[in-house]
Amino acid sequence: MVLLNFKGNDDDFTQLLARMSLEKVILITKKNMMSSRRGFLKSGALAVFGISTGVVPAFIARAAGTLKLVGPYKKNRILVCIFQRGAMDGLMAVSPFTDEYFKAARPGLYMSAAKDSRSSPIIDLDGRFGLHPGMRSFEPLFRNKQLAVVHGIGSPNNSRSHFDAQDYMESGTPFDKGTNSGWLNRASGLLGHDGSPFRAVSLTNSMPRSFYGYNPSIAISNLQDFAIQMKANPLAANITAKSFEELYDQASSGLIKETGKETFDAVKMLDKLDTKNYQPASGAVYPVTPLGNSLRQLAQLIKMDIGLEIGFAESGGWDTHYNQGTEMGTFGKNALDLSNCITAFWTDLSAYQDELTVMTMTEFGRTVKQNGSGGTDHGRASCNFILGTDVRGGIVHGSVKSLAVENLEDGRDLAVTTDFRAVFNEVADRHLKIGNEAILFPGWDGKKIGVMR
Amino acid sequence: MKHRFVTLSNILSLAVACFFLTSFLQQSANEQPPSTLRFPYKEAGLTERQAAAHLLNRFSFGANPGQVDEVVRTGLEKWFMQQMNGGIADDSLQARLKEYDAVNLSNTEVNEIYPRPIQILKMAREEGIIPKDSAKDADRMQYKKEIAQYVKQKKFRRQSALFRQFISAKIERAAYSRNQMQEVLTDFWFNHFNVSLTKKDCALFIPAYERDAIRPNVTGRFEDLLLATAKSSAMLLYLDNFTSSATADDVPSTNIERMRRNIQQINPSINDSTSNEMLQKLKKRKNNQGLNENYAREVMELHTMGVDGGYTQTDVTQAARILTGWTLYPMDNSYGGGIAKMIAKIGEDKLSDHGFVREGDFLFAMNRHDNKEKVVMGKTFPANGGYQEGVLLLKMLAHLPSTATFICRKIAVHFVSDNPPQSLVDKMAKTFLNKGGDIKEVLITMATAPEFWKKEVMREKIKSPFELAISAVRALGADIEQPYQLFNWIDKMGQKIYYYQAPTGFPDKAQYWINTGALLNRMNFGLSIASQKMRGIKTDLLALNNYHEPESPADALLIYGKLLLPERDLDATIKRITALLTAPSLEKKLEAAADKTGTVKRMDDDKKEEEIVDEAMKANEENTKSLKVRKTSKDNEGMLAQVVGIIIGSPEFQRK
Repeated sequence: MVLLNFKGNDDDFTQLLARMSLEKVILITKKNMMSSRRGFLKSGALAVFGISTGVVPAFIARAAGTLKLVGPYKKNRILVCIFQRGAMDGLMAVSPFTDEYFKAARPGLYMSAAKDSRSSPIIDLDGRFGLHPGMRSFEPLFRNKQLAVVHGIGSPNNSRSHFDAQDYMESGTPFDKGTNSGWLNRASGLLGHDGSPFRAVSLTNSMPRSFYGYNPSIAISNLQDFAIQMKANPLAANITAKSFEELYDQASSGLIKETGKETFDAVKMLDKLDTKNYQPASGAVYPVTPLGNSLRQLAQLIKMDIGLEIGFAESGGWDTHYNQGTEMGTFGKNALDLSNCITAFWTDLSAYQDELTVMTMTEFGRTVKQNGSGGTDHGRASCNFILGTDVRGGIVHGSVKSLAVENLEDGRDLAVTTDFRAVFNEVADRHLKIGNEAILFPGWDGKKIGVMR
Repeated sequence: MKHRFVTLSNILSLAVACFFLTSFLQQSANEQPPSTLRFPYKEAGLTERQAAAHLLNRFSFGANPGQVDEVVRTGLEKWFMQQMNGGIADDSLQARLKEYDAVNLSNTEVNEIYPRPIQILKMAREEGIIPKDSAKDADRMQYKKEIAQYVKQKKFRRQSALFRQFISAKIERAAYSRNQMQEVLTDFWFNHFNVSLTKKDCALFIPAYERDAIRPNVTGRFEDLLLATAKSSAMLLYLDNFTSSATADDVPSTNIERMRRNIQQINPSINDSTSNEMLQKLKKRKNNQGLNENYAREVMELHTMGVDGGYTQTDVTQAARILTGWTLYPMDNSYGGGIAKMIAKIGEDKLSDHGFVREGDFLFAMNRHDNKEKVVMGKTFPANGGYQEGVLLLKMLAHLPSTATFICRKIAVHFVSDNPPQSLVDKMAKTFLNKGGDIKEVLITMATAPEFWKKEVMREKIKSPFELAISAVRALGADIEQPYQLFNWIDKMGQKIYYYQAPTGFPDKAQYWINTGALLNRMNFGLSIASQKMRGIKTDLLALNNYHEPESPADALLIYGKLLLPERDLDATIKRITALLTAPSLEKKLEAAADKTGTVKRMDDDKKEEEIVDEAMKANEENTKSLKVRKTSKDNEGMLAQVVGIIIGSPEFQRK
């Protein structure tokens, strides 16, 4: 049961309940709000949702019906995935810095862990792997065992085409192009919490391949656009919205009618959202970059407790064929942005950390040797980051052999030793409690690597 | 068992030959409606006007003002046959398309004019225009100047400009073509044989793909469509068949010997066991790079039989082996460097003597072909079948009963209902098999079946975002000055045309299109286009009603409802919202929805150097038309715009 801006007395409240003949009354409150009905009432204006009409959003009511007396969305598990488009050089993000072959292969790119005055050293994680200095904000998270790295992760399909590799990774079927759905769409379906229009939200302009499929999902780059838009005529916009609502309510098709209802509920909920003046919690500061904007908005959605379970965002610019740089080159700037954005997101959502896991992914890694133009070319394995309280953090998981030529895939690339499906599936299984790899990753044997508790 | 299959397939190929002859003989007869062609709409309780509206809903991108009457005047059956035959003179469309001349270029021309920035850098390096290693910050300005000079001299254009033209041309054709059914079918078949601009390797060749492989064959025989797509550059690249070659196991042992000699020549100190090891590695790599099954799988799963069509993984591998060597003829600067050398060695005129086949951009490269025997679904393809065995394979697939059912169901899903009656699919599949996969015949069977005219299937299909946008333009008689603006809206509504990544194409079901975000954008689209403020799209709402201004919102709703949604029952709709529109004071207390647009500036994924190239190419484009900004509409037009926007955003307008 949700009441918004309800300023009437208790009698009015009881009457309203009677009118709606809701038997299962559910209180959705913000984290720190009292949970008794009386306390809820006395708190007066509870602006979780901007619904002035006092009507329960249809999907909340439905969720209430299915989930019984638990706050329908409050304890939802949330997975946020960040796709690093362009293929991140995993060997630069998390370097096997003691490896002499590695050092020799990258005379212009190698960074040492030794402290000298000129530049920041890489951050020694475990005596063998070092974190890129741009990612220094990750260090505390790694040290307190919330952040894990999986190294040598990649696809069993050895395509080095961005398109194909992203396609395979996002569909979750590395040998089948004909898979119509994305793995995150299937994950959303398997969670089975139909109801909230916000259960899967991608902060991108277009629907990413990971989200393709029949389970409802939203792709939107700016939450403010989620409204009936009639420029410079707010009154008309309201009447129009009301008209649309009426029309969709009388629609004969169940699909259109129900989606229409959800749409207007969702619009009302987001109506109160002020993305411009948003104050992140715990002093978190988001970089003003596309990824920062995406994660900031995702955090806002999560804090509204409106049923978000799968979030998606993108980070670009990882295809570093030229001038990859060291500490503050192309790669370094990207690394700084990625880690600062994720750290800000994690800090901002400190009240939600038990429910939240953040995972990065990238289509493949890059060549061990630097190329002729100060960069690296398309390779095979890379690494990824997983952040959460149920992650076995503080460890560089996976298997990375010394980078002698005979250990390299095709004599040039870091070998794929961990199938990306092992990691994605384990995260989905342990964090989201999905446990259905037959649907999530058809053809995958379900092997786990122990990156999650 | 095997023996029976062979016999069956022999019968099949004989049958195919017969049908080919039959359909050839029938072609001339199809120009006029056969005397038997009659649409059974009266039996379904429909008026002629209702039937005409239904025809327009399904076989065009929506009715123009007054078009229902036009179809009735022409006669429904006659209109249908005219549309199916196509070829109606269309000067006004041709005039509109003049602007998009790049879509007429050949693949070779496109490849020369629209190289990728990375290719330009490579060429510039090779020609010594810029230094081999990358630019140092110090001479950045000089570097920029040199690239600009190079790009100008070579007259390179940005690929995005080509895609823009291609997309714009599609939108103009859909909105204004008088041969509407040709456009609807081109859209349908392109989606069936989907390729995607998201895959950069094939993107440049997609305009020619639609133009040469899809469009000419949309009402022809299915096998022609299948073969044309199979041999197209775009499909060869999109599903990777262009790289597919016989695996190392099938490389003659003399080649292995030659490799061994090469290794020892390079470094005589390498002993036998080391060189063996290296050869094994090489062989393994060759194996990995050899056979590519992607196209062979999808041609069965998506293009012909469907996933339950009765084939196995073995069939996929065998089919892939048959199609080894199907690739592109080399082009300058990009594809097929290795093949180009080989062709030079053999001599272009002697290619056919060596079993090579060249047809335009297509090349059957005999040296990559697996010459051994293969068996697909019980049919044996004897050794040394060369190019022809691939053709035979595709023809076999095109005429299988499972293909007939799969294709006919897909057509019925598109034109009739998300869940078409099995009886209808069966009738269509029967025609498909009896008439050698003649698409025209299948469409006639569908349109003359009682199932097509049942009340349950009318209005049952939900328009895709593209169909919605184009139908709105057509219903409003709008003038598109900047088609790309529509593309952006269509994208926002959930259908980034030509960018669907998977080979399945966009799903053709309401469930896929209708979700909260998309629905909201459909409503906003309606409001935007009706407001007459959508950039680059001119509408004149009053002109639709011969400049009679409606007296009230209720009046407007009644008049424009009938204009935009001919032959629909709108009583309930009108009743429901008239009250709202006429009593706005009730809603005044509702909080104003602020106008909070503003987009996040997106970081470009491309590298800095490529951006420089990109900018340089911009200079080579003719001045793009300056944006024509419409004058703000007058206040009294506001009400009308609101009403029309509500109609276009209404559930009823989402149906077709």
